[in-house]
Amino acid sequence: MTENIVEVRNLTKIYEQGNVLAVDNISFDIKKGEIFALLGPNGAGKTTTISILSTLLNPTKGEAMVNLYNVKVSPDQVRKSIGIVFQEPSLDNEMKGRENLELHAILYRMPKGQRKERINEVLKLVDLEDKAETYVKNYSGGMKRRLEIARGLLHRPRMLFLDEPTLGLDPQTRRKIWDKIKELNNDLEVTILITTHYMDEADELADRICIMDHGKIIALDTSENLKKQISGDIIDIQFEKVEDRMKIPRIISLLKEIPSIKNISLEGTTKNQRELLMNLNLPKGMPNISPEMIKTQINQMISDPNRLLIAFKRFPMASQMFLNAPIDMKKRISNLFTDDLLKELPDEIKQEIVKIKSGNYIEEEKDFEPTISISCESGGSCLPEIIQAINNDGLKIKDVNMHAPKLEDVFLHFVGGDIREESSDRVKSIKKRIQMRQLTR
Amino acid sequence: MSDLNVLDMKLNYGAVWVLARRELLEFWRNKTRLISSLVQGILFLVVFSNGFGFIAPIIGGVQVDQRAFTASGISAIIILFTGIFGGMGVMRDKMFGFMKELIVAPVSRRTLMIGKTLGVGLQTLIQVCIIVFLSLALGYLGFDLSLIWRILLILPVALLASIGIVGMGLTISTRMRDFQSFGLIQTFIVMPMFMLSGAFFSFDTAGILQPVMLINPFTYSVDLFRAVLLGVSSFHVWLDLLVMSIFGIVLILLGARSFSKMEVS
Repeated sequence: MTENIVEVRNLTKIYEQGNVLAVDNISFDIKKGEIFALLGPNGAGKTTTISILSTLLNPTKGEAMVNLYNVKVSPDQVRKSIGIVFQEPSLDNEMKGRENLELHAILYRMPKGQRKERINEVLKLVDLEDKAETYVKNYSGGMKRRLEIARGLLHRPRMLFLDEPTLGLDPQTRRKIWDKIKELNNDLEVTILITTHYMDEADELADRICIMDHGKIIALDTSENLKKQISGDIIDIQFEKVEDRMKIPRIISLLKEIPSIKNISLEGTTKNQRELLMNLNLPKGMPNISPEMIKTQINQMISDPNRLLIAFKRFPMASQMFLNAPIDMKKRISNLFTDDLLKELPDEIKQEIVKIKSGNYIEEEKDFEPTISISCESGGSCLPEIIQAINNDGLKIKDVNMHAPKLEDVFLHFVGGDIREESSDRVKSIKKRIQMRQLTR
Repeated sequence: MSDLNVLDMKLNYGAVWVLARRELLEFWRNKTRLISSLVQGILFLVVFSNGFGFIAPIIGGVQVDQRAFTASGISAIIILFTGIFGGMGVMRDKMFGFMKELIVAPVSRRTLMIGKTLGVGLQTLIQVCIIVFLSLALGYLGFDLSLIWRILLILPVALLASIGIVGMGLTISTRMRDFQSFGLIQTFIVMPMFMLSGAFFSFDTAGILQPVMLINPFTYSVDLFRAVLLGVSSFHVWLDLLVMSIFGIVLILLGARSFSKMEVS
């Protein structure tokens, strides 16, 4: 059982097109008979890793062995010994379920005598016997997934790759597929590599979890041990209705000063609000700008329509702030703009102001009640300090919840709470890294 | 890619056949396509043979029956349409993910490509048969005992003609990234090859178009079809065969090359 079925050493993949460093010098082993999960946000390099292991892509650097075969040297042997279920469906919709399996069996050179029996066997395994003669285009998402798993198992691989097998499926179907995966692992002793960005999935299924981000492995251990790694407690604090949004980033930077606090992330707000708050995050070196100063600045600003106009045109953040502002603030600003000035405004803001001026404006604003999640050494001793700091700032707490870390907290701890989108900053930093590499070579 | 040693690998004949069968099965099951190709054939045959009835085509100095002329031209042309768009099926497989399943299978790219080519080739053959039998039923080819061997002979000729065309479809579709380019292919490749192939007017009477027609490799396929079906041709039969073979070999190799270089991820 301690034998390794997959060995990856210093694996690197750079996509030449777009100069993207997708996988950055990773090494790991997968033991025979285990369920191994690659967990990470979108664009972390999970699919690229699977593609290399299944010989779809060639590594730029490094070695990978699957079933004792090197993926670069003997791809055919590797292919024969693995089954794979891709992230996107890869079935032929114009054929029946059984025909898809038959084609697979022939491609994998299964002896004619075995084919029928084996196909029935796997169909039974995924409960699709009665749908075998239906065209795949008439299958539901979950049925397609199950048929793909059946196909992946048809040639009795010792290793099965599942790339986000439950993406976009409803909870019952997910549960069913999880059960199948466990069954396969227990009864047939198939080693399984699964990628996912669902924490609960990794927690439920995997013997060991490998957290990836930006192409690197940032943690690899059992779910239990990972949770132990962030020792201490998690404190979730929900604020009562916050009128002055500027206060939240400020309080976060204040709390970060408390020594025993390790990490703070913001959650439970809509994407828009989150972006706004992230942008407002004060730089670490200068937390001591008094809110009064900012207030006077802003007051000056919003009494001069011409300055506002420039701000709206140039800084998307200014428009964001306006759209998110409380209604009385919006009314005040709206009254500043005469009809000629109105024409020059960006469309989004113009519509809003016209709405307000015509009195049609319905206040659809929901209460802004953000929640922050704090991880710290010892919750009990930290909590008074935290509450003190919050009270000093004049914010009211609605709810406090202290608990032991969940896998989700581990994930956020390692990956950070910001929204993962391929921002230009990230692309730039990757490009820089690639250039550095080329220089140091 | 991992298939650089593509030429060393043995062909998996089972896989070739199952892939070819897949193409045929899809063609057979897609009833709208089957019916539309039938209707299109009848339309082409009836409209062009009667609509252009005033032109008396001359091939190699011999005056030919307009209807027989059109029937032979159209049975050749159908190869162009079916072949290119059949080869484009690779594009569809790429889009719908099925190509991934094929590529991670332990078969060489060459096996995949030959399977695909064979499938589309057989498909064009069926289409040609449909047109030929339609023209027979309409009496366009006359009734003659020699027709039996002529029709038998047309099958290998059609297969040869389709090889180059399918290769072209494969080359294009493995390099294409989206369906938008479809219109471009239609306008810049299919239509010119179709219009300038001599299917609707004789090469002998084409006047200033002649040099352009000489460049079009499909002109020779049409010419060979006439030679077999009607017994008259503008060029020598061996010239036709030579050009078709070179065109076929070059494009099928090009197709194979871009197929084995194709990255799907």
